[in-house]
Amino acid sequence: MISARKLTVVYKRSGVVALRGVDLTIPGNTVTCILGPNASGKTTLLKAIAQVVDYSGVVEISGRDAKSVLRELRRILSYASVLEERELLGVTVLDVLVYSRYPVSKGFFTSREDVEKAREVAVKLGIEGLLGRRLGELSAGELQRVVLAAALAREPKALLLDEPDSHLDVLAKTWLSEFLREISSSVTVVLSTHDPLFASATCEYFVVLSRGGVVFAGSKSELLENAHILEEVYGVPFTSVSLGDYRVLIPLSSQTRRVELASRGEPSRRETSCSSSSTRGDH
Amino acid sequence: MSSKHVVLGVFLLLLASLTTPLLYTYTSTLLEDMPRGVAEKVLAYRLYRSLYALLAGLVLAASGCMLQASLRNPLVDHYILGVGSGALFAVYTALLLVDRVSLWALSLAAIIGGLSALALTVVIAESVSGSDVAYVLSGIGVTSLFSGLSVLLLHYVVRKYAYASLMLTGTFVHSRPESLEYTLVAVVLVFLGYAFLSRKLNALMLGDDYAAQLGVNPGLTRLLASLVAGVSASIVVSQFGTIGFLGLVTPHVARLALRTSDNRLVIPLAMASGSLLLYVTDAVSKTMPGGVGEIPAGALISAVGAPFFLVLLARRFRGALR
Repeated sequence: MISARKLTVVYKRSGVVALRGVDLTIPGNTVTCILGPNASGKTTLLKAIAQVVDYSGVVEISGRDAKSVLRELRRILSYASVLEERELLGVTVLDVLVYSRYPVSKGFFTSREDVEKAREVAVKLGIEGLLGRRLGELSAGELQRVVLAAALAREPKALLLDEPDSHLDVLAKTWLSEFLREISSSVTVVLSTHDPLFASATCEYFVVLSRGGVVFAGSKSELLENAHILEEVYGVPFTSVSLGDYRVLIPLSSQTRRVELASRGEPSRRETSCSSSSTRGDH
Repeated sequence: MSSKHVVLGVFLLLLASLTTPLLYTYTSTLLEDMPRGVAEKVLAYRLYRSLYALLAGLVLAASGCMLQASLRNPLVDHYILGVGSGALFAVYTALLLVDRVSLWALSLAAIIGGLSALALTVVIAESVSGSDVAYVLSGIGVTSLFSGLSVLLLHYVVRKYAYASLMLTGTFVHSRPESLEYTLVAVVLVFLGYAFLSRKLNALMLGDDYAAQLGVNPGLTRLLASLVAGVSASIVVSQFGTIGFLGLVTPHVARLALRTSDNRLVIPLAMASGSLLLYVTDAVSKTMPGGVGEIPAGALISAVGAPFFLVLLARRFRGALR
């Protein structure tokens, strides 16, 4: 379980307030999704939990103040974001996985165990063929898998993923969704994404941010019932689609929504909600 | 081949690249037919000269690795970033202003000059965009500034110190026993940097956020690595002048040979290749055809290193356009 109390992050250089007094509890061993438009504070929230930005307030991991258990936190929690790839520095995929094990590896040089664990995670993610390749030679989708592998290389208990689904094709997204749900039986996964379809297909718990504040935190079914919150935050109407147990949220253009409502002869549905916004997306 | 064997191989290579040239210098000098009194002096001079070329190559290569990794920039070394010309300018100034200046004061002046130039380059580059190319351009500007000033001062300095003109491109002609302790300080410094920073530099290459979550303070690591690289390279400059491109080329050679970016292996192999390259260059510079006598080893290195730099630059831009 991860919780935050009065979490505030101000970026010193720009003076931008990225998070304003966020109070939040994220359940353990589930896949949690942080939704919100650009600049709503998603990445900053992940970074604050991962202790890579300065913040005021408290972040607790399993009931203990993260700042007081920093060394242990580095072993059990990993945060995956965009990898810097400077091709000419010759960083290989194996390098990334080995370096990512630093908090748990022993000794000055790379140990046999480090290499074995790196191989293990590469096999699990289907990138064992890429181990000797340089980052600059990879496609965006391959790089995304390497980022995930790096995060998993030290076998963390909590996994924070910043837009893990970006640059992935449909097959890879489906695979990622299933993979994350599978590992969430033993790992707490928190991810941010711009794709509500991916989010609702993957996650069980949702946090919606807007302008550095939490506007919603709750289970998937609660969010499906309160889709108007997303509409208010994004300025785009949403609807939920059900295929048996499989229920997902999809954004609509105002046009589609009007057509849909007209064809059904319904003035409004709960999932699509908020009639006031029917013109909002009309540019 | 397991990683243990690679580690062992790299360090054996480093040891061999330092000892073999010395042994060669020693035996080849002994085999020459010289009068007794002369032979000893020639041997001592040649051994010092070989040792300095080897150690200077080692220091500059390590300094290049640390600068490239800490700035996450494959296009830089102490010379490109202005450390070399800044240090040389300070050395010339000290030679000009102080009569009978001690080597100690000369080294200190070089360190101040080198670090100031580095700071200037970093500030300008960061204020522009902080990109790898911004560092190169800003470095070229700073280097030109201090090189120009150095050439200006040279006309006055050369009256007091005859070898000053050779220091402009780096030379081991004036190898003297007194330089040994300063050179060794630089060597110890880069080995300390290697021992304490190479793991951290690996983490830094992945990005600041990665470094931070791996328990590495990115700002502090970058500062310490720049200090180690800047100070050690400046000391070398204070003794032998500016030697460009060696620090740029050797890390790439090591990375290509090892097929990894791991600084725990790249730095020692770059050291080995830097030592050998500078030793060979110095040997060649003594035996140029046409009876021109000695040419500065640094000039020869630049002639080899600069095209390599241009290839790198071209690849960098091709990569960016892809």
